[in-house]
Amino acid sequence: MGQILLLAAGFLVLVAISASSVLLVNKSRRDNAWVVHTIEVENQTNSLLLEIRRAESAARGYLVTRGPEFLSDHEDAVSAITPHLDKLADLTSDNPFQVENLRKLRAAIETRLHQFELEISFLKQGDAADAADLVREAAAGTTSATIRDLGDAMRSEENDLFALRRANADRSQRLASAVTIAGSSLVIVLAGISIILVRRSAQARDHAEARLRDNNLNLEATVEERTADVRAANDELQRFAYIVSHDLRSPLVNIVGFTSELEELRGQIFKRIGVLAPPVPTNAPTIAPDAEPELASEDQRLSQDFSEALGFIKSSSDKMDRLISAILNLTREGRRRFEPEPLDMRELIESLVSSLAHQASEAEAEIHITPLPQIVSDHLAIEQIFSNLIDNAIKYLRPGIPGEIFVRGRTKLGFAVFDISDNGRGIDPKDHQRIFDLFRRAGIQDRPGQGIGLAHVRALVRRLGGTMSVASELNAGSTFTITLPIKWNVSNWTED
Amino acid sequence: MNTPVTIVMIEDDDGHARLIERNIRRSGINNEIVPFTNGTDALNYLLGRDSKGAERKGEALLILLDLNLPDMTGLDILRRVKESRNLKCVPVVVLTTTDDSQEIKRCYELGANVYITKPVNYDNFANAIRQLGLFFSVIQVPESAS
Repeated sequence: MGQILLLAAGFLVLVAISASSVLLVNKSRRDNAWVVHTIEVENQTNSLLLEIRRAESAARGYLVTRGPEFLSDHEDAVSAITPHLDKLADLTSDNPFQVENLRKLRAAIETRLHQFELEISFLKQGDAADAADLVREAAAGTTSATIRDLGDAMRSEENDLFALRRANADRSQRLASAVTIAGSSLVIVLAGISIILVRRSAQARDHAEARLRDNNLNLEATVEERTADVRAANDELQRFAYIVSHDLRSPLVNIVGFTSELEELRGQIFKRIGVLAPPVPTNAPTIAPDAEPELASEDQRLSQDFSEALGFIKSSSDKMDRLISAILNLTREGRRRFEPEPLDMRELIESLVSSLAHQASEAEAEIHITPLPQIVSDHLAIEQIFSNLIDNAIKYLRPGIPGEIFVRGRTKLGFAVFDISDNGRGIDPKDHQRIFDLFRRAGIQDRPGQGIGLAHVRALVRRLGGTMSVASELNAGSTFTITLPIKWNVSNWTED
Repeated sequence: MNTPVTIVMIEDDDGHARLIERNIRRSGINNEIVPFTNGTDALNYLLGRDSKGAERKGEALLILLDLNLPDMTGLDILRRVKESRNLKCVPVVVLTTTDDSQEIKRCYELGANVYITKPVNYDNFANAIRQLGLFFSVIQVPESAS
C-alpha cells in the first residue's frame, strides 16, 4: 500500500515537474523574445536616427562641394528614412507610449524631410545662399533637437523595457531551474524512501521466511514427537492387552482344571451315595460295578443340580478362554510385521470368493466383482480384511431373499476406495459404532460369532494407514467402505 | 539299569502345580516330584553351590518349567540349564499359558525338548507327560565317566 502511494506520488511529482518545466521554458522563451524585440527596437531607432544624420551630412557635403555623389548619398538616406520609420512603427505598435513618441517623431521627421527637399531644390536652382540659410536655420531650429530628444526618449524607454524584460527572463529561468532542481530532489527523496521501504520489506520477508522455516522444522519435530507418543501408547496398549490376557489365562487354567477335578469327584461322590443309600429293590442286583448306581429321587436331583452348576462353569470358562484367545490373537496380529507388496486386488478377491463359494451357495448369494485398483500393501492383512467383510455379507443376508454382494473399487487422491455392499439385513444406524467394538455385536443374535471380526478388520485397516466406515439401514443392506493408501509406506508404522 | 527319574517342577501357581502333579500321578507316573515356586530356589537346587550343576551330575532329572515366574522368566532358567555342562542333557518340558509362536521358537532355540501349552483340557497334557516319562525311563541316562 505504502509502495503504491509512494509510486503514485513520485509519478505525480514527475508530471508536475515536466508540466511546469514546459510552461516555464515557454515563458522564458517568450521573455527572451521580448528582450530581443527591445534590442531590435533600439537598433531600429538608432538606424533611423543614423539615416537622418546621414541625410543631413550628405546635404551639407552637397552644399559645400556640389559633388553629385553627395546628392545621391543624400537621396539614398532620405529614401531609407521612411521605410525605417514604418518598420519602427510596426515594431512599437504594442507600446502606447512609444506609439505616441513615434507620432511626434514622425511629424518632426516629416518637417525635416521637407526642409531637406527645400534645401536640395534651392541648391539645384543654384540658390546656394538660400540653401545655406535654410541649413543654418534647420541647425538652429527645434526640429533636429526634437528628433534627437524623441530618439533619446524612445531609446531610454526601450532601455527601461530591456532592463525589465531581462529581469523577467532571468526570473523565469531561475524559477524553471529552481522547479527542476526541487522536483528532481523530491524524486530522489522519493526514490530513497522507496529503496528504504523495499529494503525493509525484503528484510521483513526474509525474517518471515526464516520464521516459517523454523516453524516447519518445529512442526516436523512436533509431529514426530506426537507420532512417537502415539506409537508408544499403541505399543503399551498392545503390551497391556497381551499381559492382561496372558495373566488372565493363568487363573482360568486353574478354574478349568479344578472343574474337571470336581467333575471327577462328583462321579465318585454320587457313586458312593448310590452305594450307601438304601438300594432300590427292583433292579439292585444288576448294578454294574462301573456304572453309576441308581439314585434315590432326592439324590438324583442333587446330582442334576451339581451337573448343571458344573456345566455353567465349564461353558463360561470355555467362553472366557475363547475371548482371551481372541485378544491374544488380536495383539499378536498387531505385533506382526507387515510386508507391503504389489497386489492384484481382483485376483486376490476372486480367490477369497472361491474359498467362500460353499457358504455363498448355501446362502443363495451371488458375489460380483467389478474392476479393482491395484495397491501395494500387506497380502495377509488385506486378505483378512476382505474375507471378514465378504464372510459377514454372506452371513447376515435376509432369509429368503437371494443375496447380491458387490465388491467395487475406485481411486481417489492417492487412495484406493473399496466398497463391499450387500442387500442383507442391514445394521441399525445406532449400532454403527458398536459393531466395530471388540466382543460387541448388533441385531438378532442368530449367527455364531464372537464379535471380533470387524474390530479386527478396523485395527488392520488402521495399521495399513487407511480408514473404514459403514453405511447401512435396517433391512436395506450394508455398505462397508475401506479407504487404503495405494502405495502403503511400511516405514510409517513398523515398530522394532 | 533304570535310574528313577526325579521330576523337578518349577511352577509358581499352586493350582497349576497341583493340577500338573495330579495329572502326572493319574497317568501312572510315580516318580519323585521336587516342586519349586520361584526361579531362584530352583536354580540353587539345580546348579548347586558352584553354580555349575556338579552336584546334580549324573542324576536322572526331568524339568517341568513354567515361563512366568515371579523373580525371573523361565527362559533364564532354560538358558542356565542348557549352558551348564553337567545339566545340558536334562530334558526340559516348557509349560506355559501362551501359544505365541515367537516364544515357542525361542524356547526351542534355547534347547527346550518339549513345549506344552497349559491346556484347559488336561487329557493331552497327561498324555504328553506319560510319553515323556516312558521315553525317559527307557532311555538310559549316560553315566558320566566320573
